Amino acid sequence: MKWWLIAWREIRWEVFLDRASLLRTAVFIVIPIFFVFSNRGIPGGGAGDATLIALALQSVFFPSLAGVSLIAATFTAEKENGTLVPLLAAPIRDFDIVLGKLLGMVVPVMVACAVTLAAAYALAGVRYGAERVARVLTPELLYALLVLSLLYVVTTGSITMIVAARVRSSRAAQQLAGLVIAVSAAVFAGLGFVAIQVADGWALVAVGVILVFFDVGALEVARRVWQRGEVIGRI
Amino acid sequence: MIDVRHVTRRFDGVTALEDASFEVRSGEIVALLGPNGAGKTTASRIIGGILAPSEGDVLVDAVSVRQDPNTVRARCGFVTDQPSLYERMPLSAYLEFFARLYDVSAPGARAVELARLLGLDDVLGKRLGAFSRGMRQKVAIARALVHDPPVLLLDEPATALDPEMAQTLRSFIVSLRARHRAILLTTHDLDEAQRIADRVVVLYKGRVIRIGATSEIRAVGKPSYTVTFAGEPAAAHAALARIGVASDPAPSEDGLGALRFATDDPRKTNSEALRALLDAGLRVVTVTAAERSLEDAYLAILAEARQ
Repeated sequence: MKWWLIAWREIRWEVFLDRASLLRTAVFIVIPIFFVFSNRGIPGGGAGDATLIALALQSVFFPSLAGVSLIAATFTAEKENGTLVPLLAAPIRDFDIVLGKLLGMVVPVMVACAVTLAAAYALAGVRYGAERVARVLTPELLYALLVLSLLYVVTTGSITMIVAARVRSSRAAQQLAGLVIAVSAAVFAGLGFVAIQVADGWALVAVGVILVFFDVGALEVARRVWQRGEVIGRI
Repeated sequence: MIDVRHVTRRFDGVTALEDASFEVRSGEIVALLGPNGAGKTTASRIIGGILAPSEGDVLVDAVSVRQDPNTVRARCGFVTDQPSLYERMPLSAYLEFFARLYDVSAPGARAVELARLLGLDDVLGKRLGAFSRGMRQKVAIARALVHDPPVLLLDEPATALDPEMAQTLRSFIVSLRARHRAILLTTHDLDEAQRIADRVVVLYKGRVIRIGATSEIRAVGKPSYTVTFAGEPAAAHAALARIGVASDPAPSEDGLGALRFATDDPRKTNSEALRALLDAGLRVVTVTAAERSLEDAYLAILAEARQ
């Protein structure tokens, strides 16, 4: 359970005490809620339902973006400050470090996603009618959206960790991670939106399965590049 | 306690350490010396189980770093030149975090005990970001001692410490030797090494070029002597040159002249030099053996290696 020690330390002492990251996360929570609030009106029928689904989808993806930028910052900062060396000198497996760091980001981000989705749902219910929102945004769909965002965060988090392990400066890591995030966000959001609309949700399940496979692969690559010898050689 | 056996480490085709072998016994301080890029940090990282050797092996407390690096890490305490602390954490939480990583049974009590040992008990609740350089280095030492390891790897532990703090740190390291710890001290501070190291290992371009007791290492090279006299230094220099002894000016007091010369055979050379100076009309006051520092010996060893 040493991965949990590392994860809890990240959450308790880095995420919650880093004002910049808190502010960034707050902005990414407020933006999707603002979109729900500022939408002037939703037409009836399929087009309106699609808009509601799109609003729910963006409510989970915006906080996910905050998390990915968070991990890019914390990993490279650890390398630059040398705080990774004492961790690498401790009797823990390489995978515990990778998993701990990843969870340290994923847990608070998923909390932010859930809070944003709940707020967006409640606000949409007030603005567009609770009955209609409940009919379109079913519990199954909301659950699927959260799972999708979890898979997305793990995917991009793993990619960001791989990038952070290979580069020396936090600026380079942030830039590369930003590029990865922008492309992946567009792809996943598009895929997710299309998948929700077709084939009674089976396409959404397919997207989830693909993401699971991708996550397993990305985590394995992250574990390999985060082997002590590889990382310490670049500090 | 530490047994480095023919260790080689390569990074992308560059050999950082080549066929290095040496030992550090329990209750011993060994100084690992060498110029920048000699492979000192690589060696200590391999011993501490952070880096795997490309060839060879290291046994720490009879455990192979190749076969069981995690157990090796659990038996080593590692202090780096930079304290590298999590600045947002208070001292107590920081030490408890590392105590838990090392499976210490009562992490909270251990954190308090270590803070007391290093004189940090009054700042247990203070954030590490607010600590001075000396306090931060103390925290790094406390972190290394959190699991009471039998082996300590100290990489430039006194870097940027003021003289008083450096002296306190030296005393503390010596006290750990008395408690039968095996201590590998990587340092550029030859004065520090001379004061506390029992033995010295000199690395140059990744190779071990000299191992020995500190006193033996200091004896490397020709012994040198300082002669003081009343009279002209130029005349004294010429008189020594006539018998084939090269001399250099040395610091002197009381208006006396002083020259320093080195020789392989002091029994023969010193009496000849004395006679030559007296024959030149100089009044010799003293002839004393110049005490050689570890720095002199180290520089002589490096000069020899470069040739």
